[in-house]
Amino acid sequence: MSRQIGALVATHLYDRRRALWAWGIPLGLMSAFIVAIFPSVEASLSKAIQGYPQGLKEAFGIGELSNVEQYLHAEMLSLIVPLALGYLAVRAVASGLTGAAESGRLDVLLSAPVSRSRLVAAGFLATAVELAAVLLLTGALTGLGSILAGSGLAAGPAAAGFANVWPLALLFAGLGVIAAGFSLRTSVVTGSVAGVLVGMYVLDLVGRLDSGLDAVRYLSVFRYYGNAIEDGIEPLAFAGVTLVACLLAAIGAWLFERRDLAA
Amino acid sequence: MPAIETEALTKRYGRHRGIEGVSFAVQPGEVFGFLGPNGAGKTTTIRTLLDLIHPTAGAARIFGLDSRRESVAIRARLGNLPGDFGFGRDTAGRQALHLLARLRGTEGIGRAEELATRFRADLDRPLGQLSRGNRQKVGLILATFHRPELLILDEPTSGLDPLMQEEFLALVAEERDCGCAVFLSSHELDEVQRVCDRVGIVRGGRLIAVERIADLLGKARRRFTVELADPAGAERLRSLPGVADFAVVDGRVSFSAAGDLDAVVRELAGHHVVDLEATHPSLEEVFLGYYDEGEGA
Repeated sequence: MSRQIGALVATHLYDRRRALWAWGIPLGLMSAFIVAIFPSVEASLSKAIQGYPQGLKEAFGIGELSNVEQYLHAEMLSLIVPLALGYLAVRAVASGLTGAAESGRLDVLLSAPVSRSRLVAAGFLATAVELAAVLLLTGALTGLGSILAGSGLAAGPAAAGFANVWPLALLFAGLGVIAAGFSLRTSVVTGSVAGVLVGMYVLDLVGRLDSGLDAVRYLSVFRYYGNAIEDGIEPLAFAGVTLVACLLAAIGAWLFERRDLAA
Repeated sequence: MPAIETEALTKRYGRHRGIEGVSFAVQPGEVFGFLGPNGAGKTTTIRTLLDLIHPTAGAARIFGLDSRRESVAIRARLGNLPGDFGFGRDTAGRQALHLLARLRGTEGIGRAEELATRFRADLDRPLGQLSRGNRQKVGLILATFHRPELLILDEPTSGLDPLMQEEFLALVAEERDCGCAVFLSSHELDEVQRVCDRVGIVRGGRLIAVERIADLLGKARRRFTVELADPAGAERLRSLPGVADFAVVDGRVSFSAAGDLDAVVRELAGHHVVDLEATHPSLEEVFLGYYDEGEGA
């Protein structure tokens, strides 16, 4: 069993090797740019932030931007990195299921003695590794930018900030597996889960803007995301979201096992 | 024990027809041809056997195992070439082989190199850079490298040049001689006639005939053209049992006959026969005959 999953994960990662560079380098360079320019914009930023409406600051998690970690969170980790990684997650997991069905690979793989649930597990596991690798590369380039520009980004909090994106993104991989249980078209799976991703973000935003609607935030995974770069990783939220992601993938595997894989 | 045995296998897609009540058996060491035009239900049958789609009713057993509940154990013993073989554009045949070998738990890629030489297949170029025929060769190697006990081949020679088709037919014959059962879906009636022991004809999702090739051809109407010294005396042939399509053109009598030919031979014996030609129909004619009957019904 482990040999089969190992082979499938290795193949999945090899096939998606370009995604590491295609996603990790742009995100990393963008983050590196943000931390690199911080020393030169720090003074003007504080003045500008003071003029922002309080609601807007709360909605987008903009607190005091008095240090580079807060700036990195506001510019990258509160919106761009989670949304990008969430989308990458669903694309990655879909490539191993619906993408494989569209290319004909699934038919060949399922001619071998491997169960569908094992294929799903391997795809989900490979996606988890891919997400971690992209986050690692993004974080490394960010750190490099800070060193080169002398921004003084603290490694520990920055690492926590990037690591905290991982379970959130993985949750969308789990939703991607569920979507593949209903449709074998990659465009349908990525489109529908990307819609949920944006929808969850908007729900969380609405809840934060209007305290009367705070309850709707519980429908969004962003409610549990927090601000790890300042507050550290919340272990319960990290483990809980990871667990829910795995649970969603397991439900998806169950659906995928039962569906017809029509030509 | 049959390699494949289906009992009233049925697959419906909502209101759309898939296959209906398909029952047949394929024995080890037998090549079974599955004939029918596009949309007749050939691929649906194959996908149901492979548990890629689940039957609405009926059952299939492969090596005596249930095709649904014991699918993984079944697939350890078979090789499959899908109708539209693909494995991703960037993957080379050798990479695909190594992955399948690991999934099958085999040591190495078996006789894949030997087969690649035989089929002149390039295992090192990405499949996206290969022509359809060359991709098909890689697909054949993936289906056969591990010496399966059952080969399921959906339109296996599509895209192959005539030389490679010959090589493929030779390989199928060798596999059969080694005891492998082969289930071969094809449009190529000539290759079916040459390599298959029995054939199933599927029409409108139903299996309408399962016959040995020889029996199928033997049962079919044979065509006679006879040149008689006195054609006028041949009219009595017209009324004999089994005789049809009777015509006299330029002094040559032509007709078709089915079943026992004794009466025809006795009648002709009473004439001065100058020339006689009897032809068996090709499988294609037999096949088309089944379809004509269906459309007429």
